[in-house]
Amino acid sequence: MALYRTLLSRAALATFLVHATPLYAETVFRLDASAPGEADPDKGIDYIGSVLAFNLYDALVVPGQNGTPVAPHIATGWKIDGNDYVFTLRPDIKFHSGHVMTADDVVFSFKRLMALGKGNSPLFADRVASVTAVDPQTVKFTLTGPYAPFLGALVRLPVLDSIFLLAHKADGKFGDMGDYGEAYLSGHDAGSGAYMLVSHVPESETNLAKFDGYFLGVPSSAPDKVRIRYGLQPATVRELVASGQQDMTSQWLPPEVMRALAGRSDTHLLADRGSNILFLHMNTQKPPLDDLNCRLALTYAFDYATAIKLAQVTDKVSAASPASGPIGRSEFGFNASLPLFGQDIGKAKDYLAKCKYKTPDEREIDITWITEVPAEEKIALLMKANFDQLGFQTTIKGAPWTLYTQQVTKVDSTPSLSEVYIDAPTPDPDSILYNMYSSKSPPTWESASHLVDPEADKLLDAGRAETDIAKRKAIYEQLDARLDAVAPAIFASEVSGVFVGLNTFRLPPFEDDSKRFSAEEYGLQFRLVEMLK
Amino acid sequence: MTWFADSPGWRAFRRDTMAMTGLTLVALVVLAALFADWIAPYPSHAGPIGDFGAMGAPPGGRFLLGTDTIGRDLLTRLIYAYRLSLEMAIVVLAIATPIGVVVGLLAGYLGPAWSYGLMRLTDVFLSIPPLVLAMSITGFLEPSAIHGMIAITAMWWPWYARLTYNLTRAERQEGYVVAAEIVGASLPHILFREILPNCMPSILTKMTVDVGFVILIASSMSFLGLGAQAPTPDLGSMVADGAKYMPDAWWLTVFPAIAILIVVMGFNLLGDGLREAADVAR
Repeated sequence: MALYRTLLSRAALATFLVHATPLYAETVFRLDASAPGEADPDKGIDYIGSVLAFNLYDALVVPGQNGTPVAPHIATGWKIDGNDYVFTLRPDIKFHSGHVMTADDVVFSFKRLMALGKGNSPLFADRVASVTAVDPQTVKFTLTGPYAPFLGALVRLPVLDSIFLLAHKADGKFGDMGDYGEAYLSGHDAGSGAYMLVSHVPESETNLAKFDGYFLGVPSSAPDKVRIRYGLQPATVRELVASGQQDMTSQWLPPEVMRALAGRSDTHLLADRGSNILFLHMNTQKPPLDDLNCRLALTYAFDYATAIKLAQVTDKVSAASPASGPIGRSEFGFNASLPLFGQDIGKAKDYLAKCKYKTPDEREIDITWITEVPAEEKIALLMKANFDQLGFQTTIKGAPWTLYTQQVTKVDSTPSLSEVYIDAPTPDPDSILYNMYSSKSPPTWESASHLVDPEADKLLDAGRAETDIAKRKAIYEQLDARLDAVAPAIFASEVSGVFVGLNTFRLPPFEDDSKRFSAEEYGLQFRLVEMLK
Repeated sequence: MTWFADSPGWRAFRRDTMAMTGLTLVALVVLAALFADWIAPYPSHAGPIGDFGAMGAPPGGRFLLGTDTIGRDLLTRLIYAYRLSLEMAIVVLAIATPIGVVVGLLAGYLGPAWSYGLMRLTDVFLSIPPLVLAMSITGFLEPSAIHGMIAITAMWWPWYARLTYNLTRAERQEGYVVAAEIVGASLPHILFREILPNCMPSILTKMTVDVGFVILIASSMSFLGLGAQAPTPDLGSMVADGAKYMPDAWWLTVFPAIAILIVVMGFNLLGDGLREAADVAR
């Protein structure tokens, strides 16, 4: 009887273990992001919109590593002949639908991006005269004129499955193309990327699943599924990570909350070091900052070290690092010979003495910060303390983003100093500096300094015309130095996106300097995530 | 003053522990707001300043209630936030009450056409949830304390119109009103010299209770980013800002929330006490 009971209990235990241990343990990578989360790659340009585009879709070229601006991806290579750019495509790329990618898909994708006129379409506006499929594996872009940044801009041209998408088009304003699949892509994908869209509810949640047919392969250590939730409150994120229910935070957590999480033994910090700079734009067309000496005085009066300390997450990691100019150290064209900015009150006073505005009334300046970014208030207060001490009369005002973007397009309504974090949308410095500092560029939210400098104009135009990489690099290095000299802004710091992650995964592009990419967001490729358990 | 001390209303009020608690809380808040410049430990911390060496200090030591993420003393900012809250309540009620009272008097005293027209207009405003109405108005305007006051005023007058309308309907049948009509008194005289004084106790009691509610609504709007903007100290925005740092910097949310509780509870208890005292006096 005892033997019978033993056998019975062992059999019961064996049955339990067989059922309790899954044959295949699925890994899920869980993170949060700021809302809304745009699934259509031709619309989303914010951080998470770009991350989704990079994971669901592929482009002809991608941001490079170790100082290379762009690297081949869908295109195995390209030839540049005057204004013609001819790309040869890989023949082995399949979309999630099973269709094989051809040059027609590239042509369709470009036309869709420009027809919708949203997202990254301004990168190509008025630059491309025609795009044609020479054969299934060859596509030719003919530009309207010399425009060397074109290659970098292609990083932001996701290739869509034209056959699949047209089968899902709805009625719309684009003639035969209907709505160009706009309604469908708001909740589905038509890509070839390493991950497929399983479900997507804007402002709420996105679920992705690994695509086994990805042309570069997806490592087995990469998560099988990815879950992104939007708009969570910092306190909620803190608790989710602390209780092991979320693997990675967004970079928008306040440093104080990051510090609390980073102090735990089960977490580590990650950083997306892209091309984000904190610009303190100075209105170069309005007194007193139309005087270069006044601008340089402020440049030397600003307390860079404290600004970096304010972004400090731990003793070793800060979301900010010293800058030496408008081009970040991981960007193409960075001038390594320029000194890092630092406070020097002696020099500040020397320049102020040379400034033509002498009386306190003449030295009134107003500072505007963006109210949606609480960290900017601290920097505004720091500026006030620094500049008041030097002898300026400073006032501070917060402005919502929409108001700010209207204000700074006109010289008169642009504040003396305005604070804004800007990162380059492509690995090419032209994508940020031309709009910001060329006097030929129409005023936008980026051009709050309203700089008119013929030398900077000349270098910016030369950078657009030159296709030789080495010569272009030299041009942007000169531009980096020139902009330091004419001080259209205080280049307060280089800014990194800092994330807190559980020790359940590693993400080399955010942890190993040799594996970082030349553009922000591209490092957060889920196929590069290494799940540890 | 003897008549007041001996009046049955005041004696009833004094015996009401809750009412006296309310009066004490209100008195403390009003005094703190009035003398903020003298009693706040760091008056400059209510303005555009940051003490970067004292960021996020917990309660105790130099800072009794701790500091915020910019190093500003929380106690100082709460005291100044009370000043803004009271200013807001006074301005809102000073504008909304006369508008609502005049509408209510006219609708209650004049004929059915006036009554129908004015009260349906009032009903339209009352049918929209107050916070939604205020948010809609501030949606058209730049968020600021002034625009917040305008929005709250727009949603507040209908309550006074409704109250005054009901009171006027009851009073217009009274003999003193009929007598005034017989001797040929003018319409303003009948409305403002005869009827209104008899409605005032109820209106004043409602105003006392409403101070707390106006502060609560203003705080809710600030919580949503539609009220006073940084660096102006405001109770609602302090709760909202502090919530990001829970539970590590708990004091940033808990103390402003307690401050709201104190002022709203104080005015509610005081209002209830006044209403009961008025009933006793009658």
